[in-house]
Amino acid sequence: MTYTISPPPHVKSNETVKRMMWGTVAALMPVAIMAIIFFGLPALIIILATVIAAVVTEVVIYKAASQPVTIDDGNAVLIGLLLALLMSPGVPVWVPVIGAVFAIAVAKYIFGGTGTLVFHPVLVGFAFLLAAWPTLMGTASTPNLGGLWDLILENGAGRLIEISPAAVLVGGAFVLYKRYVDRRVAISATILLLLLLPIVGMGSQLPYVLTGGYFLGLIFLAADPITSPVTKRGRFTYGILIVVLILIQLHFDAYFTGMCFAVLLANALGPFIDRNTIPKPIGGK
Amino acid sequence: MKIATIRTSDQVIIPLQQHDGAVCSSLVSVGDTISVGQLIGDGEFRIHSSVSGEVTAISELPHPSGREVLSVVIKVHDGANVHEGASEESEPEELSTGKIRRIIRDSGIVEPNGRLTLCAKADINTIIINGTNTDDLTANAALMTNSPSEIIYGLKALMKTVGAKKAVIVIELGSAALQIMRTETIPDNNIKIIATPTYYPPGTENVLSRKFAGKKVPRGSTPEDRGVLITSVTAIRAVYDALHGTPMIKKVVTVAGAVGSPGNALVEIGAPIKHVIDECGGCSGTPVKIIMDGAVSGMAQYADEVPVIKTTTGILVQTERDINREPQTPCINCAWCVDECPIGLMPHLLYGYADSAQFDKCAELYIGDCVECGLCAYVCPSKLPLVQIIRYGKHGVAEIAAAEMEVSE
Repeated sequence: MTYTISPPPHVKSNETVKRMMWGTVAALMPVAIMAIIFFGLPALIIILATVIAAVVTEVVIYKAASQPVTIDDGNAVLIGLLLALLMSPGVPVWVPVIGAVFAIAVAKYIFGGTGTLVFHPVLVGFAFLLAAWPTLMGTASTPNLGGLWDLILENGAGRLIEISPAAVLVGGAFVLYKRYVDRRVAISATILLLLLLPIVGMGSQLPYVLTGGYFLGLIFLAADPITSPVTKRGRFTYGILIVVLILIQLHFDAYFTGMCFAVLLANALGPFIDRNTIPKPIGGK
Repeated sequence: MKIATIRTSDQVIIPLQQHDGAVCSSLVSVGDTISVGQLIGDGEFRIHSSVSGEVTAISELPHPSGREVLSVVIKVHDGANVHEGASEESEPEELSTGKIRRIIRDSGIVEPNGRLTLCAKADINTIIINGTNTDDLTANAALMTNSPSEIIYGLKALMKTVGAKKAVIVIELGSAALQIMRTETIPDNNIKIIATPTYYPPGTENVLSRKFAGKKVPRGSTPEDRGVLITSVTAIRAVYDALHGTPMIKKVVTVAGAVGSPGNALVEIGAPIKHVIDECGGCSGTPVKIIMDGAVSGMAQYADEVPVIKTTTGILVQTERDINREPQTPCINCAWCVDECPIGLMPHLLYGYADSAQFDKCAELYIGDCVECGLCAYVCPSKLPLVQIIRYGKHGVAEIAAAEMEVSE
């Protein structure tokens, strides 16, 4: 009789990286569907083209580098989908496609692939597009939360993601519940931002901050497990840092792009925060 | 909760190493006829025969730790396997401290974690009995429900020996033993029952000491240094037996998983696990993994002739359906392991540094504090073998320290 031997533990949770990624993709489906219903065919084309571009880029690069292709883990799909949702519906479709190629090739592959990233690939892709084609990246309108109905369907949405704050929050609640994104970062940053805005005299920005773009940024981008710090104190610090950076950007009227740059800057400080917040084990002095 | 009594195996294998320490030397030789309770191994502590029979071999045989250890093989003679014990019945108050201490030392009592804490010489103020159950091993609850007065007897004797003024018995909320032990301890003001929600890992001494005695244990010292003696239900029960003339030759073991009738059984030390499983209804389905002790931190066994030893708390049988064979993927820094670690370590960093042999970094991140509870590897979505690599890292750190010692000498 032969038996399997392995190091402990002999029971493991069912959660895998694959489930985390696909679960996050599923959590973005409500807002994607809302966007497609509201904006119609252009939104569908942008989403499909960006996701396909991300997946194809990943396959080509990993094949060329003779590395195992890992598109089934859902990371490329997630990057493509998130990037597509940050676009305005009027953008020429080649713009997000180039963004997706850049996100996968530069921000993901060159930095070492899933798990070793410093900067969130979606934000890198977005920043790249913003720098390369600023005129094409503008939006026709700016959302502003007027009434409660705007939480369900935002009429002033300039980007796909801004269409429905409620849909983003439903998906956000799911990923927070499943811990697919970091709770400490997402919750501390959201609460702090909403509290601080009136205090620092920027209460007039509040209706804007309550739109889908900000919820997406704080839950799906800032609290992304790969690029956020790992220590418990570090994650709170990171959330606070992001809020401070957002407030600075908002002061200069940068709106949604300011949110993205705030997270991107905080990404750079992530490893530094980690290094300085290593906890002392129990019993340690 | 029932404790089943099972048939004695035809052959028992008693390893001469049953605790964290040196192998004992054998006091018997091949061909000797020995009786139950006879001393067969001596050294740092004592090992007694659990059966009467003839010694057929003394050789290196598979041990639950995965190594091969010098063991005494005894062919069991039919009948006469009941240990008589001493008939005198006396209250713990009547026995002298020195006598109790000597009896405890002579009876070869080992804690489930492999330590000989009861023999430690220290100034003890509080005794904590850990009555919680690890994973699905319910031996502690079964012992307490079946023999509450014996446990209180053993505890009182121990309190007297070490001079402890207080004792705490930690039991999970909802455990069947809770009410029984509460009733049993009503007359004693200095024995307290604490009900706790289930937490894991239950046996970490520093955590127990902080949670239930309010004493933080600094790095490099043990709870005993702070006046806290942490012991187990098994050991306390063994103290009772020892004071009644029976050394530690049997213990209650939980048989769980894919077996015919899972539950607790009183097993002779040295019984092969195959025999124990067969007596508990045999495997249901094809066994793929046999695990000694808990599912989260136990050792998978490569052979089923491995014997039950004094530290064994359970035998778990897994079939293919129970085993998670998800492939390993790179770490994504999700920090789930950081959130789970009961000690407050950074498991994924330790993994990364140990995996790339940066042992100095491992030491900086307190790798030695890891208690190998296995929670990090349980939650890891990348299915990394964290415990295994952290053990490798500890080994590396120890080697560097040893080399430095040599240089300085």
